[in-house]
Amino acid sequence: MRLLKGIKIAVILKIVLVTIALAVLGFLMQAALLAGDTQIGIFFGIAIFLIALVYFTRISIPLKFFLPGVLLLATFVITPVVYTISMSAYQYKTGNILSKPEALKMLKSNDAFAQVPDEKKFDLKLGWCDEKYGDPKDVANAPVCALVSYYPDNIYFLSTATTLTPLTRDRIIFNKVGLPADVTKVGAKFTWEPFYEDEYATFDKTIASTRFKYSKPGTFMQAEGYSVMAVYAQRIVYDAKADTFTDIKTGFVYKDNGRGNYANTKNGKDVMYPGWREVVWFENFVNLVNDPSVRDPLVAVFIWTCIFAVTTVVTQFALGLLIALTLHTKMRGRWIYRSIIILPYAMPSIMSIMIWGGMLNTDFGAVNNLIGLIVGHPVHLTWLTDPTLARTSVLLVNLWLGFPYFYLISTGALQAIPAELTEAAAIDGASGGQTFRKITLPLLMQMLSPLLISSFAFNFNNFNLIYLLTGGGPKDTLSGQSAGATDILISYTYNLAFNKGTQNFGLASAVSIVIFVAVAAISLYGIRRSKVLESFV
Amino acid sequence: MFSIKKVAGIAAALGLLAAGAVSVPADARVKAAPKILTVWADSNRAANLIKAIGTVAEQTAGDYVAGYKINVVGYTGFDTLKTAVDAATSANGPDIILGANDWVPTLAKDGKLAQFTLSSSAAKNFTANQLGDLSYSGKLYGVPLDINNVAMLTNDDLTTVPTSFGEMVAYYKANKDSAGLTRGLCVAGGGMSWGAAGILSALGGSPYAMSGGKAKITGAPFTVKTFAQNVKDQLLNVDGTPNGFFTDSDSNCKQDFIDGKVPYAVIGNWEWKDYVAEGFDMKKLSCVPGIKVNSCGAGFGSVSGALLTSFAAGAGDDNAAKSFLNDFFGSAQGAMSYEKYEQRPPANKAAAAIASPALKGFGLAASKASIPQLGTFLNGGAKDTTGLVLGTKAAPGTKGANVPTYWDALPALWSALVSSDSTVRKDPTVASQLFANIMAANAANSVNN
Repeated sequence: MRLLKGIKIAVILKIVLVTIALAVLGFLMQAALLAGDTQIGIFFGIAIFLIALVYFTRISIPLKFFLPGVLLLATFVITPVVYTISMSAYQYKTGNILSKPEALKMLKSNDAFAQVPDEKKFDLKLGWCDEKYGDPKDVANAPVCALVSYYPDNIYFLSTATTLTPLTRDRIIFNKVGLPADVTKVGAKFTWEPFYEDEYATFDKTIASTRFKYSKPGTFMQAEGYSVMAVYAQRIVYDAKADTFTDIKTGFVYKDNGRGNYANTKNGKDVMYPGWREVVWFENFVNLVNDPSVRDPLVAVFIWTCIFAVTTVVTQFALGLLIALTLHTKMRGRWIYRSIIILPYAMPSIMSIMIWGGMLNTDFGAVNNLIGLIVGHPVHLTWLTDPTLARTSVLLVNLWLGFPYFYLISTGALQAIPAELTEAAAIDGASGGQTFRKITLPLLMQMLSPLLISSFAFNFNNFNLIYLLTGGGPKDTLSGQSAGATDILISYTYNLAFNKGTQNFGLASAVSIVIFVAVAAISLYGIRRSKVLESFV
Repeated sequence: MFSIKKVAGIAAALGLLAAGAVSVPADARVKAAPKILTVWADSNRAANLIKAIGTVAEQTAGDYVAGYKINVVGYTGFDTLKTAVDAATSANGPDIILGANDWVPTLAKDGKLAQFTLSSSAAKNFTANQLGDLSYSGKLYGVPLDINNVAMLTNDDLTTVPTSFGEMVAYYKANKDSAGLTRGLCVAGGGMSWGAAGILSALGGSPYAMSGGKAKITGAPFTVKTFAQNVKDQLLNVDGTPNGFFTDSDSNCKQDFIDGKVPYAVIGNWEWKDYVAEGFDMKKLSCVPGIKVNSCGAGFGSVSGALLTSFAAGAGDDNAAKSFLNDFFGSAQGAMSYEKYEQRPPANKAAAAIASPALKGFGLAASKASIPQLGTFLNGGAKDTTGLVLGTKAAPGTKGANVPTYWDALPALWSALVSSDSTVRKDPTVASQLFANIMAANAANSVNN
């Protein structure tokens, strides 16, 4: 306690909290490094260093406030952006998700050999052999030795990686169910000793990597679990110097095609899997322009995305402002109207969208039922399956979801406009319309421009609405349309990246960057035009 | 200083110690702590597998695999499990996944699965189609668990089990108004592509033609003219509008069927207990009847599988995982102990022999007519290089356009045939031809996958 005497409580608290934070980060760093996530581990290490430096020294007072935000920004904004940019330069899709060393390891171990057709699948009992190596219990030296049998044909033998010892039936000791369990000893010498139960687990890797000798040339046996032995033959051979695989049977040579696969030199379409992520630089961006299967839908989707975002912002703002102007004047029960108008905004948008989806159903939706009551006969307007109506539905539902927000901010902005300005205009003989056009609206626009721009950016990427209301559709799938009538760039990208059949993360990353550049450019232009935040731009 | 005696004594002691260290004693094979084999499954399967084999704490090492205990990790849903599997790496991946057969092609291509060989005794318990379901490029990646299929259930309060498609349509037309029917036939389980495959087949369509137990990779998968005519006869009115017997939507099907508003429903074998609870008789299960009397539409008779991952080898658990697959899931005893809780028709023949009537009903529907679910055919991947797959000579499609998957194409076909929206509908022959082209292109493309 003497040590802490004279130190303020706040300082002690700071030391305790920072120490706890460092301990947690230290634990996370250790976990990340142990899991092989070196980059994440290094990031935690840097964070620990920076936190200790900033909070335990007086190097920079402002950094004490900024550092948590900077670290979170780096983690959740900058890292995903950098990752997306880097992935856009890769061939990164189904079949090409590993690194090259991982893929090579898989190809050499898992795919390099194939089971020999029509060969027997033998019963297997694992143990140790002694013939060459002395005491069988000297596990440091004894090789893993398989007691292999095929009882219908009375075949029994011991096999290691280098030896094959046939056994006669009288040497076999059978268990209760008639399977070979042990081998009789010859004289004082051990012949074979079965594994202890725990040795199966301890030596699993050794068993898996052992190619047990088999009688037929060019073949070997491999354990398939602890009780089955199968016969394999080398299918392909890897030449490390040339970095090629050769198919032993066909003679075809498979060479690194520079695009993440070993491909047949005589038929480029014949590639080996798994492949790996390969740098293809700007190929994904080039495909956006050159590949008609990507370009054509993308152009249509881009145009609709712009129309959707602009129309949404304009309609939401117009309606919100109209209501705000209406309720700006004093009237009886104004607070009730204001409360009701905020309701769509207060409700979770996901629920609202799904309810609207039901209401717009062609056969049993409330909207068609209501119109039917008005016109006096049933109507079957295909709100979500006709391209034009689906787009209209998307805009209407978004208007419903978004206008309260613009009502709220417009109300606030209207209250901030000095009454003297409109009063002076009235004295000067300006009409209501003139006052609105020349005074109120310009002032509102100056105040609300940043919010309009951010709303545009939000709606440019309004994935929830599209995904939940129309799923991007309707689209004529049978005719090969890959993008629906209401697909916006982000929902189209989602389909590219997470399609049910195949996934193309590289191409989706490229489209994401296009979206980012488009939104950034339009927002920047808007901010400059509005002359707001000039000091920041 | 040390005396000579002391030095000699120390030297002798060290010599003995060294000799003892070099000559490994007989009990040098020290017992090791049990290792853990990790199985990933969705929460339902995980709970049922744990009921069958116990938790890690309840198990004794070696209960199922020598030197191992089995840890079952459950994910909240099937999609969550797939997301976890897609994100799994050698650092955190499981040894075994209980998953769908259509995961096999992509996971194998991605290098997440490892090939595996069933023992002769275990292999006898499965059909070639079932093993084919879990194979990719000629290699087997797991053990079939249970049959995933659907069967048609008839509401016997309303009518009897039909023997032909036409009989169902006739019943619907005759009783539509009097019985307040909303539809004649709908898909309550499996969705409009997987679950509705039997209806497609009953009308003469198919995703791919089968020959000698194998799917053909060349030519049209079915006779377009016949299928289109059957659609016109069974699903459309004379003026080409849908007759309402079968719609392009599966929404509310289950509830409508339970409420007696639909006489026939295709239900999944994972949900039969819901119908038994509502008083339905599982003896009224059948295949979707075909156009000819006593013929059957063939749905997918696919299997779920216990799949071996490539992560197992990295973790030093490869053979343990293979042992568990062979000795537990591959054996009748293991399959029965699991299916006792899972309550789906077991793929294992020996286990299937003792199944309940409901499971036998699904098994019968599968055995009468089913086709294997071939991911390489169904998951698409073909390109329309000529523009004639998705277009015609008169109006060719975009050259190089991606050909849709079966999963997207069949719901679109239903919409094109029986949508209530006239702007979505196409001529049945045109729509059927497009669907046949799509499936033929994807089948031909499968040789490159």
